[in-house]
Formats: sequence, structure tokens, C-alpha cells
Amino acid sequence: MSMPYVVYFCIFVAFPLAFSFFLIFHKWNIVTPMEWVGLRNFNRLFHDIQFFKSIRNTLVFLAIHIPLQIAMALFFAMQLNKKIKFRGFFRALFFLPVIVSGVVITILWEQLYSYETGLLNLILTRFGFYRIPWINSPEWAMPSIAIMATWKNVGLYIILFLVGLQGIPKYLYEAAEIDGAKPIQRFFYITLPALNNTMLLVVILSTIGGFSLFIEPFVMTGGGPMNSTLSAMLYIYNQAFYFGHMGYAATLGFFFALVILMVILIQKKVVERE
Amino acid sequence: MNIKNHKRNLRKIHISVIGLFCLLCVFQLCEKKQNGGQQKDSKIHITYWCASNQDEIDLAQYLVDQWNAANDSIKVKMQPIPASQSSEEVLLAAIAAGTTPDICSNMWPGAMDDFIASGGLVRLDQFPDFVDCISERVPADLLKTFLAPDGHFYQIPWKTNPIMIVYNKNIFRDAGVDFIPRTYSEYIKAGRKITRDLDGDGNLDVWLSHRDTKPIWWQRFFDYYTFYIAASGGQTLFEGSEIIFNNEASVKVFDFFRQIYKEGLFAKTTFIGDAFILGKLATQIAGPWHVSHVEKFRPPGFEYGIFPVPVPDDYEGPVYTFGDFKNISIFGTTKHPEATYAFAKYLVTAEADLKLLEFTLQIPIRKDLTENPLFEDFFEENPNLVYFAEQAPYTRGMDGVSDLKEIFDAISQEYEACAIFNRRDPAQAVENAARRAKVIMEWNRSR
Amino acid sequence: MEKKSRIWVYITMTFGGLIFAYPFLWMLSATFKPEMEIAEIGLMSANFSLDNYRVVFNKIPIGRALLNSIFVSSCVTFSAVMFGSIVGYALSRLRFWGRELILGIILFTMVIPFQITLIPMYILMVKFGWVDTYLSLIVPGMISTFGILLFRQFFLDIPQDLIDAARIDGCSDLAILFRIFFPLSKPVIITVGILSFMGSWNDVLWPLIVVRVRELMTMPQMVTLFKVGGQAESQISSQLAAAALLAIPIVIVYAFFQRYFIESMATTGLKN
Repeated sequence: MSMPYVVYFCIFVAFPLAFSFFLIFHKWNIVTPMEWVGLRNFNRLFHDIQFFKSIRNTLVFLAIHIPLQIAMALFFAMQLNKKIKFRGFFRALFFLPVIVSGVVITILWEQLYSYETGLLNLILTRFGFYRIPWINSPEWAMPSIAIMATWKNVGLYIILFLVGLQGIPKYLYEAAEIDGAKPIQRFFYITLPALNNTMLLVVILSTIGGFSLFIEPFVMTGGGPMNSTLSAMLYIYNQAFYFGHMGYAATLGFFFALVILMVILIQKKVVERE
Repeated sequence: MNIKNHKRNLRKIHISVIGLFCLLCVFQLCEKKQNGGQQKDSKIHITYWCASNQDEIDLAQYLVDQWNAANDSIKVKMQPIPASQSSEEVLLAAIAAGTTPDICSNMWPGAMDDFIASGGLVRLDQFPDFVDCISERVPADLLKTFLAPDGHFYQIPWKTNPIMIVYNKNIFRDAGVDFIPRTYSEYIKAGRKITRDLDGDGNLDVWLSHRDTKPIWWQRFFDYYTFYIAASGGQTLFEGSEIIFNNEASVKVFDFFRQIYKEGLFAKTTFIGDAFILGKLATQIAGPWHVSHVEKFRPPGFEYGIFPVPVPDDYEGPVYTFGDFKNISIFGTTKHPEATYAFAKYLVTAEADLKLLEFTLQIPIRKDLTENPLFEDFFEENPNLVYFAEQAPYTRGMDGVSDLKEIFDAISQEYEACAIFNRRDPAQAVENAARRAKVIMEWNRSR
Repeated sequence: MEKKSRIWVYITMTFGGLIFAYPFLWMLSATFKPEMEIAEIGLMSANFSLDNYRVVFNKIPIGRALLNSIFVSSCVTFSAVMFGSIVGYALSRLRFWGRELILGIILFTMVIPFQITLIPMYILMVKFGWVDTYLSLIVPGMISTFGILLFRQFFLDIPQDLIDAARIDGCSDLAILFRIFFPLSKPVIITVGILSFMGSWNDVLWPLIVVRVRELMTMPQMVTLFKVGGQAESQISSQLAAAALLAIPIVIVYAFFQRYFIESMATTGLKN
């Protein structure tokens, strides 16, 4: 009965994997014949400043996105964990951006971020602040995309943290209160350690999600300004489908997958130790 | 579990899998039927892809309707090129997948090498009357530039869009600019007067102009490349297969745009709505299609004019510009080359060219444009278009080099770093772009 | 809880709620406003009209795209549930040669980033001649490895007695699966269904690569191309209207099955 899976696996997993490995050693633009190039794709990769920049950009994205996401999610989850009215309503509201397509979110946020006419800058100027050149400056663009991604995904992580919080036994808090622990101490000595597993999960999930960052820069910035939002996925897409370097793009994909696995392993080590 | 049972189950699963596939196939067939259902009759059916902007869709629809009304045996079906970031991408993918139409009128000469190399196009000079037919329409020296490296023709030169500057006369008047800028310094001088805060809220309200600064390679056609052609007296990026753009003209262009952005004369933001029509921009780097847009949407009292692309202060001679050529090609997948060729010839008749002018305000590549009485009425009604028609001979297109996209991408990166964000010296930026272009070519050519 | 902190909680929650709700409201109101009035903080306008939607409908066949999306996502969802449950059943309740191997392979494929297989998959589609057909959109998504694991996990907990009893009655495995297991597995069916549906509905990258003809484009793809392909002619309100049209179907579904959505998505995380 597992035949369907085996067939599926052979066609859509095993073959592409093998073929991808095969492509690594070739130059090919689909329309003209394939050409064996040995390890030259790797040679090109290691000299490709733009690709490394794109990986760096992706890491920058993660470095902003993950802490922001954890802080926001944890904060709202703890509020939701209290006995308040309209809990379900708020929960549903926070979750709304998660289910809406990234395209919608990106088109919407591009307007929110617009320098002259965007909602965010209108609010800033209303309160007497300067406008921020959100997606128009090399320094702000990636943080802007990270903020947007956080806004989109945080609902999911609120729920995950909420599940984690509800798993913490009440008596721990009661005992701590009797011992005279302040709320901040309770947070650091009870809540955080108890959420360790959830934390690891959140970090790994948002890392995987972050590494496939594509549609946001694709729609919003096209990778600019000054390549500051060129994510690795966008770069690979461009190499393959813009410039027709299938073999090289496969090489990039392969290398990038290794980077992802490495980062996740390191994260796991770090979180587990803490 | 017993084996018999297991086998029966397996069969059931197989049946269900096959069933699902069948369902899909049926759906697929229905699809196909919709497209080719009428193909059983004796008529010849041709699919024609046109550009996906509204004007050209309307034009194509009109021409196809006319054709279908006059021709009983050859029926044409029009379809806009599936929208994407660029139509070359779509066409190449279509060639790879074998899903090309019979004929397409949005062929970009810059990508011709790829199309020909992939064997996706029909050689046009195999039709005996091709050369005569086309020479009648296209000036000989221009026609030569569309000859493929193998000495054959694969494209019918169709139309061009000479890039010029459209300007808002009202804004020029209000700002006290009483001259038409010819050189960089005049253009910048006008810009300094024009770019200002009108209502005193601390934010600029009018700018000299605006360009999409996203580093998408083809965006550079309309700033760097246009000005480069003008500054270099009609050179393109290549001579033969040699890169020649790392020259004084490029540096001047980079420096000029750096100055413009440094002084904030070009708005860096994205606007809501068409900023030129809203009177927020004094000039716009644009082709004739933009005039049709302005004509359609301008508010009452909105006066505009046209002048050639500014050149460096020390430049003398005729002003060249970039023209975005779009040509007609027939794809190798066609089953009816003769019929498709007949339709292609129909698309470049003088009557069709008049419709091209009327619908899209784009310039057909035709020798007798300003002399043929057929077009007289049109140019009388659209005096602005005369500028473009006269500019057309001094128009340069793209080198048909297959790495062009990547090279423009490299230029785009450097242009952005230098001109827009002022983080690199112009000479250095041009040098970098050329070096990167060479690396790209080396890589792509090496065997 | 003391009153002061209670009020504080409500204030932060309302503020948070606004952060999430207001952009959507702003977008919705902007789609009814004329272009010139978008640059406002407020939501109201005297000039509400449907013009922007008219522009979208005139320019792109978005109705067709909606049908495509519904068709593709339904096929993917249906088959992900079917195959997921069949394979999940086999892996949890049947003994056969290679079972552990298959399980290992499934776990292994979950760690392979799709980045590696993206390009070979496209080439595969080209070679199959599936580019620009529904097949390329549906078939690669027909089996969800994650769905298999969810079903397997759930089926492991169903008591063996039920199976034994059914066997005695002469039920085949498929009959056991569909008659006995299915009625018990509503939660996991809903979860796999929602996850597959959402995944397929919101996917843009894959359709962007394999479908180039307008007639077959899915809705998110069409809206993306409407935005980046220049057809919107930088008319922001019509871009937003297209985006709103894309959001509405899933928001409606969400409004009805909100609880299931949240629970399903949460399991994605927890089971990983």
C-alpha cells in the first residue's frame, strides 16, 4: 500500500536529487545541448561575490527576523495566556496574516512603506518624526522586509508559544510567588526554561522559512536597493530562470542547502546548551 | 495479512491512481479541445502573440479581426504574451517546452541570438519575396543591423520607440525655465529651478524627473543606455564581440546621473498614480507610447512638449538615442509557415502601419513615414509624433549578444551604487561594470 | 489579577490588534477609493466606488484564475488526504519488507530543502511536456510527506482490536481504512486537508516557473504578475484591489473554520 509513495519518491524526490547532482557538473540553458564542465561551476561559485552577498543578506534577514519574532510572539502569547475577554477574537486576529498569501501581504506592505504616501510615514510625520526611507535605502530595506515577515508569521508562533505556556504547571508559579519571586524573576527562571523546546522549534521553523525568502523581495524590491534584499533564493531563481544557467543554479542550490543544514545544526547545539 | 488480500489491495490502489490520472487527463483534453476544437475543419489556424500592454492588445485585436473578416481559409487567434517580468523569459521557456505560437510581434532583437541558437525560429529569407518585400519598407542600413550572424534573416523589423524627453510646459513656465535644455548642465540648471517645495511643508512637491531605480536590467535602457548612446554619438555596448562601453561617454553619463540624484533632482520614491500627469514631474524620459498615455489621461490645460535627450556639454553633432525595436518572427513550431508568412506580411503593410500609429503611437520602421500621403493626416493630428518619426533614423537598438541581460545586470548594479547611492566613483563604477561583463562573457563562452 | 494590570493587558492587546487589523482595513478601504485619496491615514472617503475592481476584471482574467486555483488546490488536497492516509495506514498497521526503510526515506526527504530539487523538477516538467498544463501544478503536490507522517502518527493510536474484528468480517485493508479508520480520524483529515490546501493555494514560486499561459495561471501567480509585470501600470489602487480579491476567498474560509486552521497550523510546528 505504500506503492504510491515509492513511485512518487522515485519520480519527484530521488530523480530530481540525482539529476541535480548531475547538473552540478554541467552547463545548460535548457534549449541548447548540455555541456560537461567538471568542477567549474564550483570555481565560479567561490568567486561569485553576489552569491555570497545574497547569503549574507539572508543571514541578516534571519538575524533581525528571529529575535523580533520571538520577542513579539512571546509577549503576545503571555498576554493571551491570561484570563481576558475576547481571547479567541485576538487569537484569530493575530493569526489572520498567517493564512493570507504572501503576495497580498507584500503588495499591501509596499504601500505601507511608500516614502511619500505610505501609511507608516504618514503616521510618523503626523507625530512630528522624520520619514523613514523604508524599502528605498540599502540600510533599511532588509530590516523592513524582516519586519513585514514578522508581522505575517508571528501569529503562528504566538500559538506555538501559547501551547507551550499552557503546558507549564501552575504550581511552579504559585511556589515561586510564595518564595517572593518578582514577575521578572518568574519569567526568567520558570517561563523561559520551560519553553526551551518551543523556542528551538520556533527558531528552526523560522530559519527554514527565512532561508526560502523569495516572494517578498521578488515582488517588493526586486533584490535592491544595491542588492541589499537580494536573498539567496532570489539569486538562484535569477540565475536559473533569468539568465538560463541551470547547471550553475543547481550548484548554488546544492551549496545553499548545505549552508542551511549547517546553520540549523549550529542553532540546535546552541539552544540545547542553554 | 494474507497475500491475496494484499494483491487485491494493490490493484485497487493502482486503479485509484490510474483513475485520478485519467481524470486529470480528461480535464487536460478538455483544455486542449477548447483551444483546438475547431481544428478539424479544413481551415488553417494560426496563433499570434502580441505584447501584453493594452494599446497593443487593442491593435492586435483590430488587425486580427480585419484579417479574419477578409480571409476565409486562414484564421488567426490573437493572444497577449503571458505576462511576466520580461517577454523574452516567456518566449525562451516556450521554445524549451515547445509551446510557442506560430508568430509573435514582440521579438526583442537583443535576445535574437538565443532564439536562433535554440533553433526556435523560421528562417525568413527562405520565402522568395522576403528581401524585396522588406527592402521596400526598411532603410537598407538599418535592415543590415538585423541580419543574424549566420547571414540569414529571422526577424521582420516592425516598430521602434525612439526615447526622447517629454516635458510639462506648465511646470517649465511656472519655474521660470524659458529654454529647452540641450546639454547636461542646462538640464541640471533647469532641474534646480524646477525641483522645489511648493506649499512650504518641508517636502518637495515637484521634481525634474523620476526613473524606476530598481536594479532590473532592462530599466537601464531608459536611463544609462539611452544617455550613453547619445553621449557616444550612436555607439552601442559592443563592437563585434568586443566590449567598448568602458569609455569616456559612460563615465560622463554615470557622473551626470550621480549629480542628478545627489541634488535630489530626480525623485527617488515611488509615486501613487502617474506622477507626470499629476504634475509632480517636469520631464519624463519616454518613448512615443508614453505620449499616447499622456494624451489619454492628461487633465485639461496640461500642455506638453518633446525634446531630444540631453548630451554632454562638449558634444557636437546629431543627437542619437536608444530605440526599443520590436520585431516579428515566425516560430519553428508552426505547421503552416506559408500561411503565417502571409499574415506576417499583412502586419507590415502601410495600412497596418497606419493602425499601429493610431492605436499605439509607436513608430513603424518605414522609409516613407514622413512622405507617404497615407500618414499625412495622422501626423497633422499628432504633431508631437513628428519629433519621434524624425528621430527614428538616429536610433540605435541592442547588440544581439546572448549575455546581454547579464551584462546589463552588471551595469545596473554599478549604476545603482554610483549614480543613485553615490557610493562609488563614476570611473571606478564603469571600470567595475566592464570587468564584470568580461568575466561573464569569459565564463559563458569558455568551452 | 489586579485591576491595573488587567487594564494594561487590554490596552496592549487592543494596540496589538490594531497593528494586525488596521493594515487590512486600510487596504480594503483603499481598494474602493480613487487613486488620489490613498495617501491618507483614515479609512473613510466620500468617493467610494468599485472602479478599481472593474479595472482588475477588465485587465486580467482573474475569475478564471480563481477557478484554476480552486481546481488545483482541491485536487492537491483530495489526493494528499487519500494518499497520505493510504501510505500512513501501510506504514503504521501493515508489516512488509522495507517498511522501516520507507519510513527512514520519508524522514530524510523532510530535511531536504526544496532549493535543491527546484530546478531538476522544472526540467522534469519540461521533459514530461507538463509545462503549461494543470498536471505540473497538481501532480508534484499529490503526496505530502508531512501528511503521511501525520496520518501514521494518528493511526498508530487506533486500537488493534478494531482491525482484528474487521478482518474477521472479511474486510480488506482499504475497507478498514475507509470504513473504520476514516470516521475516527476527522481531526487529522482536517489538518492534512487544511495544510495541503493552504500550501497549494498560497504557492507562487512553483506556478511562476511552470505555467506561462494566462488561462492556467493560479490566482496568486496572476496577481503577482499583474503587480510586477507592469499591467497594473503602477495604479496602486488596482494592485490593492487585485490583492484584496486574492485574500478574500481564504479569509472567508478562515472565518468559518478558524479554529481548525489555527490548530492545524500549530500541529505543523509541534509534530516537527
